[in-house]
Amino acid sequence: MTATRHATSSPALPGASGAARAFGRSMFTKTLFDNRRIFTVWALATGLLALMYAGFYPQITADTAASVPEAMSGFGFDDMGSAAGYLQGAVFGLLVPLLVTFYGAATGARMISADEESGYLDLLLAHPISRTRLLLQRFAALATGAVLIAAAVLGAMLAIRAGAELDTISAGGFAAQAVTLALLALVFGALATAIGAATGKGRATVFGAAAGIGVLAYAVNGFAPQIGADRLRRLTPFHYYIGGEPLKNGLPLADVCVLAAVTAVLLGAGTWRFARRDLGR
Amino acid sequence: MNTAIELTGLTKDYGSRRGLDDLSLRVAAGEVFGYLGPNGAGKSTTIRLMLDLIRPTSGTVRVLGMDPRADAVRLHRRIGYLAGDFVVDGRQRAGECLSFLGDLRGGVPAARVLDLADRLELDLSARVRSLSKGNRQKVGLVQAFMHRPELLILDEPTSGLDPLVQQTFLEMVAEAKAAGQTVFMSSHIMSEVEAVADRVAIIREGRLAAVDTVTALRERSLLRVRIDFAEAVTAEEFAALPGVTDLTVTGAEGGATLTCRLDGRPDALVKAAARHTVTDLRAENQDLEELFHAYYTGGRPGAATGPTR
Repeated sequence: MTATRHATSSPALPGASGAARAFGRSMFTKTLFDNRRIFTVWALATGLLALMYAGFYPQITADTAASVPEAMSGFGFDDMGSAAGYLQGAVFGLLVPLLVTFYGAATGARMISADEESGYLDLLLAHPISRTRLLLQRFAALATGAVLIAAAVLGAMLAIRAGAELDTISAGGFAAQAVTLALLALVFGALATAIGAATGKGRATVFGAAAGIGVLAYAVNGFAPQIGADRLRRLTPFHYYIGGEPLKNGLPLADVCVLAAVTAVLLGAGTWRFARRDLGR
Repeated sequence: MNTAIELTGLTKDYGSRRGLDDLSLRVAAGEVFGYLGPNGAGKSTTIRLMLDLIRPTSGTVRVLGMDPRADAVRLHRRIGYLAGDFVVDGRQRAGECLSFLGDLRGGVPAARVLDLADRLELDLSARVRSLSKGNRQKVGLVQAFMHRPELLILDEPTSGLDPLVQQTFLEMVAEAKAAGQTVFMSSHIMSEVEAVADRVAIIREGRLAAVDTVTALRERSLLRVRIDFAEAVTAEEFAALPGVTDLTVTGAEGGATLTCRLDGRPDALVKAAARHTVTDLRAENQDLEELFHAYYTGGRPGAATGPTR
């Protein structure tokens, strides 16, 4: 906010701890502060699950790799023999991307819809903060949470890399995959935020719609090769997230741009509509 | 006289639900304005239009000389708003919440918040979720008043407050008025606003039913008359008298009791009654609450024919 602050020179209010006061200075930091536990749990849980599944790699034998059904190849389970192939299947092909899809859908559904449903948004928007600014600052908090998750996953991979025989993948490959992972979370975060901002529907509906689109897109990306419709994959964010095989090839710049552009377009459309519609009650 | 709020031909069409219908209203700067109507009459709709939370179907709103939509951020800096059902994120402590809302306004002196909390006996260290409805409402009052806004927009401010706190609230409104602030407060109960309001508007089904000073509304009200006679009288003698309505005559041996409503001068009724022996005569003003119910239900409340001005 641009106005001068008096609060710095005055004593704290009871109930407002130093941290609460420090984080209460903007909608962005306040949203981060209010979600600090949820974001931490998401990051830790996703990191730990990735760690566990990646840790199984040394136990994967040629036999188990061969026993993966043909139908699973579209989901990245076609090359279980190599470290990158295994991780692209179990960890970065299934578990982690679905988790961040749900992170995006769940968190995005809370950015606008939850507070509109409760009526809190009325109060906030009666304050000197524009609708656009509120939405963007809240989305920035969501994005910070997504980066935390990606960083936790990256940290887990780097920690386990040598011990789990994953050192055929470079640290740069892991970092590249973490970047597209964070962007995947942003796409679904922006989708849920935008649905809530544009429609004013309740939190459960918005979450359901965004998560449903996510699961559908995931399925399309996985099954498209089997029905000979590879082109369909290009319509899903999952293709841009892992199709370029960042673990092997490093950061796919074009794919990164696509994911970033989709996020921006979704957010832009949501914001545009949000600034023009009636708030629901 | 400066204008704080000006609504012109304001219409909000919700489709099936009733919104507002061609409502025009002017509130002067420095005035305490009561906005009355039954639940669902359109009070909150009007208020949310003034705050740009919803947009009018047609008509214009000017608040503090600004367009609520184009100047939303600048305007909100100068307004304090309390919603009809005040909601904040319940996980926060009251002090944390007020500190954040104050910072959204660029900071509010803590001493001011502490003073208001103290007067309202609000525990700032309690989690909002754990507060009773009345105490939560106090958080709402503090956040509306704390930055001494030029215009206070209060939707049902006293709901859930106990009588003692209501008194404190009325003092706060009086102080705001003394400091030159404008107060626009809605209610569905007349007695809540009549003590502090300079003028009141009554709306019913999205339309303005009356705007006037509390005193003038009181003068408009009917007299309720009761006369006891020492002998039997007939209703016919009185029924045709000017201003007499709702006439009943109950007879008892050796006497009769007449009750009626009287609108306007009592001269004709008194002269008619004087033909008999009058043993008792009582006349009282219809109370304002009753007057408002008359407006609410669309009945003719009194002498005035055109209640708007």
